[in-house]
Amino acid sequence: METVSFIRRFVTLLGLALLQVLFLNRIALFGYVTPLFYIWMIVRFDSSMKRSSVLLWSFFLGLVIDVFSGTPGLNAASATLLAMFQPGMVKLFVTLDRHDVVVPGFASMGRPFISYLLLITVLHHSVYFILRSIPLGDWQVLAVKVVFSSLLTFIMMIVAEYSFVTPKRS
Amino acid sequence: MRSLLDFIVRHSNVFLFILLETLSLVLLFGFNDRQKEWYLTSSNSISGTVYEWRAGVGQYFSLKKENSLLVEENARLHSLLYELTDSQYVEKAAGMSSEGVIAARVIDNSVRKDDNFITINRGRRDGIAQGMGVYSSDGVVGVVVVTGSRYALVMPVLNGKTSISCKVKGSDNFGFLEWQGGDPYTAQLRDMPYHSAVEPGDTIVTTGFSSVFPENIPVGTVSSVEHARNGYTLRVEVQLAVDMSDLGWVYVHSNTLDPEIGSLYEQIGR
Repeated sequence: METVSFIRRFVTLLGLALLQVLFLNRIALFGYVTPLFYIWMIVRFDSSMKRSSVLLWSFFLGLVIDVFSGTPGLNAASATLLAMFQPGMVKLFVTLDRHDVVVPGFASMGRPFISYLLLITVLHHSVYFILRSIPLGDWQVLAVKVVFSSLLTFIMMIVAEYSFVTPKRS
Repeated sequence: MRSLLDFIVRHSNVFLFILLETLSLVLLFGFNDRQKEWYLTSSNSISGTVYEWRAGVGQYFSLKKENSLLVEENARLHSLLYELTDSQYVEKAAGMSSEGVIAARVIDNSVRKDDNFITINRGRRDGIAQGMGVYSSDGVVGVVVVTGSRYALVMPVLNGKTSISCKVKGSDNFGFLEWQGGDPYTAQLRDMPYHSAVEPGDTIVTTGFSSVFPENIPVGTVSSVEHARNGYTLRVEVQLAVDMSDLGWVYVHSNTLDPEIGSLYEQIGR
């Protein structure tokens, strides 16, 4: 069971990293807007996972993307920071009073899942774009990048949730 | 010890997070040009302040010595003052009016490299300009090469590119003081005319030709004299008067080139 979930996670990591590096990094709408869909993996970490493994998986996810996109440390730093707050955010938005394992999604969280997604995306993208634009010069450009990239990532994640996750459950 | 271990185990996730995040940031600032450049420039602008702070702390430990040096210097100035009654000295003293002197503190220094530099805590804002001579109460230190608004970089005698025109005290034969690395206590006087009477033990002082330095600032004492390979000049080893590794307060000579001398140089295109 352990090995199976490890392999599944590993495949997910590689898949998302490749998607990000080969396709999404090439997208630069209006020169600014790049979706960072790879955080989908971190979004979906369930509440039973040890915090240390959440941190490690996220770090390596970021690191793999960094290695292939030639930005050492950038994705690793922002993904690790996100991973630190992910378990807390799940707890924040799970309104149901139960001790089951929660895999973040519409099925388990209902409407608050949208707030959860938004919060996670904006947090991660802020950190990512702040680190990327050091030395911080133009705040407006930075804000545009964060807002619109977050929006694009958010839309992609909603689409993914509807097309891959929800139908299976229903 | 045990409670420390407990603490680490209880917060292992936080430590893991700090570890991973530090690793990421080290990568980020170490291998990405934009971020690396930002890190280096901002740390440089801070370092000036830190150096000054460190020098400020270090100064307390040498207060006693500094005091005694100041007393000595006062004594010397007093003696000059008495000599002023002698009309012979008036003319000379007029050439080095005290308003052309800016006191500064050395905040960073090196003597071990081939090209050493000194940082002082006075800059353009205080009237420091490129080409001004710097000396301490013991003697010649170097020449200002770069000025910032609050700090200036001095190229000391202990720099391969420095060349200061010097003479034997009491004569007018001059040569150029240079340093070839290594021993921070000795430098070489080049191009002294073959016929000049230089003996070990003679005092070497500045010439004041270019008004970078006032005349007769001590440079050092002659330790040995030998013929240069070309046969026409002498090579003089000079024991420096200033211990470059132990500088506190220094004086910057701000008498800029006399306009008339400047115009003469211009006429010959120098």
